[in-house]
Amino acid sequence: MPDKVRFIIERQDGPNEKPYTQEFDVDYRPGLNVVAALMEIQKNPVTVDGKKVAPVTWECNCLEKVCGACMMVINGKARQACCALVDEIKQPIHLAPARTFPVIRDLLIDRSVMFESLKKIQGWVELDGSWDVKDAPIQNPYTAQTAYEISHCMTCGCCLEACPNVGPQSDFIGPAPTVQAYLFNLHPLGKFDAPKRLNALMEKGGITSCGNSQNCVEVCPKSIKLTTYLAQLNRDVNKQALRNMFNF
Amino acid sequence: MHTTFYLRRLHSLCGLLVLGFFIIEHMITNSVAMAGPEIFNQVMGMVEEIPKPVFYAIEIGMYAIPILFHGIYGIYIALQAKNNPERFGYIRNWNFTLQRWTAWYLVVFLIWHVGYLRIYIKGITGTPMSFELLQNMFQNPIVTILYVLGMWAAIFHFCNGITTFCMTWGITKGPRSQNVISAISMMMCAGLCVLTVAFMASYFVY
Ligand code: HEM
Ligand code: SF4
Ligand code: SF4
Ligand code: FES
Repeated sequence: MPDKVRFIIERQDGPNEKPYTQEFDVDYRPGLNVVAALMEIQKNPVTVDGKKVAPVTWECNCLEKVCGACMMVINGKARQACCALVDEIKQPIHLAPARTFPVIRDLLIDRSVMFESLKKIQGWVELDGSWDVKDAPIQNPYTAQTAYEISHCMTCGCCLEACPNVGPQSDFIGPAPTVQAYLFNLHPLGKFDAPKRLNALMEKGGITSCGNSQNCVEVCPKSIKLTTYLAQLNRDVNKQALRNMFNF
Repeated sequence: MHTTFYLRRLHSLCGLLVLGFFIIEHMITNSVAMAGPEIFNQVMGMVEEIPKPVFYAIEIGMYAIPILFHGIYGIYIALQAKNNPERFGYIRNWNFTLQRWTAWYLVVFLIWHVGYLRIYIKGITGTPMSFELLQNMFQNPIVTILYVLGMWAAIFHFCNGITTFCMTWGITKGPRSQNVISAISMMMCAGLCVLTVAFMASYFVY
């Protein structure tokens, strides 16, 4: 086992600054992951040439693959840094920000575009009151498992970073917000707004911008069957289009 | 209004049904070359028999307009993708990239192919299509290679298009049905590519 792990990090001092790379060595220890290594670099931000530099900025929170905050590009692939074990990836380890999103600094990105997209597809359930538990409408037991699966989405943005059709060149809202529409359409109250969500998905930048490259389903850290739900939504928007046309 | 939605769906339908019919028809007519010059020229003569108004109506309505729409809107779609197979080398992503690379080749190839053979040779000089004319053209190995590549590009684009069409319309939902359609369409792709080589070879054996 080598006693040092080499990190090659693509850095950037501000949103409009030019990117540059710096290399750091981190002491190896069993179970080391990328976030833990970044913490070591933060403690002692000295490059391999012995130069003391500003510590590398990144974002993390839960450290257990549920918050989504630590998404970055590790050896070319979009993934969560907190569950990227050094033992399981090729060294030297290349880190870069997910440039599908605006870069704020170093590995820190601004993912708020996904929140805006969730607003477009109405990623919530309208409520006009509350129930006692016994009176509340129940989840459909046949779709509850699917809903549970999709509800795991942590808006990490891996799927948007991997999708060739998401980026500055396109207005596609991307797989995650699109598939969230399906989650809320399954909800016993949310389903009343299904036509609204489907109509939103038919707008420019909606579901038709998907080109079926299926990268999203390959990279989703929560193993959400994104392409299956995209196909289901494709059916649903077609039906909605017929309903719009013939007014039924 | 949902203009984008309807344009995208029309682009998809146009690609599969109209251009799909067109490429199959083209493969069948061209395969006649394998039967030799006499029969090929006879078939070309039969095409000339079709009354001109009907012929032009088919050519413009069934071929020219759909291909211009699919092609021009297709360029617009292709420009919205940042192909990334070098980072995400999954087979479906390679197919996605190839769908766009073949599209770019088809734009250039079709302008050359239709512009030269249909508009210049047949339209402007008034020379009817014949086995000998094509044989002469394929004397140049570069032309032959570019034509075979053009056919292969169109065949791949069409066959992979069947797979993505089924996803776009929600016909195949899960990975299993998508893989079955993909396997069938890729086998069809291989078959049609071999057929192309076979009928192109006719011009060198007769
Ligand atoms: C003139 C040049 C052409 C261009 C620029 C072009 C462009 C494209 C593009 C970018 C796509 C992907 C659409 C998407 O992801 O939503 C596509 C799909 C497709 N194209 Fe073409 N194309 C051309 C010619 C053809 C020809 C000649 C055929 C028929 C043989 C064809 C058949 C198809 C089919 C079946 C699809 C799949 C539709 C779908 O996924 O729903 N295309 N084309
Ligand atoms: S299948 Fe659609 S949404 Fe998923 S990565 Fe490909 S283009 Fe993007
Ligand atoms: S769908 Fe998966 S990859 Fe996409 S944002 Fe949600 S959890 Fe992340
Ligand atoms: S820190 Fe929450 S997912 Fe990595």
